[in-house]
Amino acid sequence: MDFWLSYVTLAAIYVLLGLSTNLLVGIVGIFSVSQAAIFGVGAYIVAHFLMAADPISFLPALAIAAACCIALNVLVTLPSLRVSGDYFVVTSFGIQLLATAVFTNWTGGTGGANGLPGIPPPDLWHRPLEDAWQVMALCLAACVLGCVCFFLVMRAPYGRLLRAIREDELAVAAAGKNVLRAKVSAAALAGAFAGVAGGLYATFLSFIDPSSFDLDSSILLLTMVVVGGARTLVGSILGPFLLLALPQVLTMIDIPTTFAAAMRQLIYGVLLILFMLFRPQGLAGERL
Amino acid sequence: MSAYLQVDGLDKSFGGLHALQDCSFTIAQGRITCLVGPNGAGKTTIFNAITGFLRPDAGTVAFRGETLDGLSPQAIVRHGIARTFQNLRLFTDLSALDNVLAGMLGQPGEGPLGAIFRPMHTARAQREYVARALATLEHVGLAARAREKVRNLSYGEQKLLTVARVLATGAELLLLDEPASGMSAGALENIMALLRRLQGEGKTLLVVEHNTRVVQQIADDVLFLHQGHLMAQGTPRQIINDPALAEIYFGGAI
Repeated sequence: MDFWLSYVTLAAIYVLLGLSTNLLVGIVGIFSVSQAAIFGVGAYIVAHFLMAADPISFLPALAIAAACCIALNVLVTLPSLRVSGDYFVVTSFGIQLLATAVFTNWTGGTGGANGLPGIPPPDLWHRPLEDAWQVMALCLAACVLGCVCFFLVMRAPYGRLLRAIREDELAVAAAGKNVLRAKVSAAALAGAFAGVAGGLYATFLSFIDPSSFDLDSSILLLTMVVVGGARTLVGSILGPFLLLALPQVLTMIDIPTTFAAAMRQLIYGVLLILFMLFRPQGLAGERL
Repeated sequence: MSAYLQVDGLDKSFGGLHALQDCSFTIAQGRITCLVGPNGAGKTTIFNAITGFLRPDAGTVAFRGETLDGLSPQAIVRHGIARTFQNLRLFTDLSALDNVLAGMLGQPGEGPLGAIFRPMHTARAQREYVARALATLEHVGLAARAREKVRNLSYGEQKLLTVARVLATGAELLLLDEPASGMSAGALENIMALLRRLQGEGKTLLVVEHNTRVVQQIADDVLFLHQGHLMAQGTPRQIINDPALAEIYFGGAI
């Protein structure tokens, strides 16, 4: 039972990350490989405020984390306004490496490579959610809220504007639309999703370390979007649920745990290649 | 009274290439003006300079007496000037309808906050905009193809769609970059009739066109551009029958 609880909780958190990545990469076409870094900042900020000598409660901490991640994601996405497509991937790669370096070496703030243990569980109006069911309900609620936002955005003229920007920025400007404002606001929205996911992740696991927010994690998020499907809500939900099930399936096979981790990376890589070659639209999406 | 569109002394160099040299002309309201000239004469550069995609080195552009200098492309569209592109630049993954909607200004729900926090208002307004976009498609003769993705439209249909997209902005001065090139004879008649119809509805058109037959049939005025400079201005008959201009246009070989 515990296994299912933690699986669903984690998947709900990753759906938020999937939405964040899909919005930026799939819809607007800003090819970010640093979404895990934003996720990490959200996690560390919430952990910091809950573990402070004078702790604040979960929701305000989450709001602060979301606000910081909005600002940060806008900042790291700004280069995409100047450098296009392929060049931005390199910039974004650098941002991810920078973030990992900070997470690993700033021992005073992040606990360094040892991570931060003992993060208290989330609370709602000072009532701690000790029970795993309650935490799952909280994460699912956040996930559903995220999905509703994503759905509304995609259905509105804003979604059409973002998709048009991915295809041809110049034509969007020629149609009298403000490309800069649309891109910045999309980055803000994606930042909010990632920040909230980070806060939920930190309090759910009660322990965080840099390995959850490194380049591998960013690539895992991209794999989720590719496998699930770009630009669709269903794709953003399917990807995380399927890819997070994989490690669990591997534990059922009788192989040593050290081997399982390598096996998982291997399978992720193979999946990414196979999907790109044979089904670029993912399971339920459109061509990236 | 000042001219409707006044282009005054535009200069633009790209490295050693002088794309525009002291280029000046005016356009009268309600007329179809064709911009002709050999390849590399600066026709598209003029379009880019008027619509804010290119900052000229010198010179000014004024529309209805107001200067457009230094304005962004989107600000110029809001002033009432919209353009098409020679290479179309449609959103090929979107439907024809969505392409037209993407050109309509001032829609509620075009930012994340409106989309998320006022969904009912957005949806209600959207129904109106969709109706207007369908009417625009009907106007250019694409109503039956509204829900089709652009990549599935024929080249002629895509050209009509670029016109629908500039119409959607509500602009009154339309800059059309080769709207008739590459079209079959039937489609050609179709688009010429459409341009005439738009003129009848009060639009002013500045059209880059190579086909002299098209120019003769639709143009009220012709501007002849050569080496980034306005060389001659007149009626289609005057320009086409001028042997010196024909020499430039078709090259020394003839």
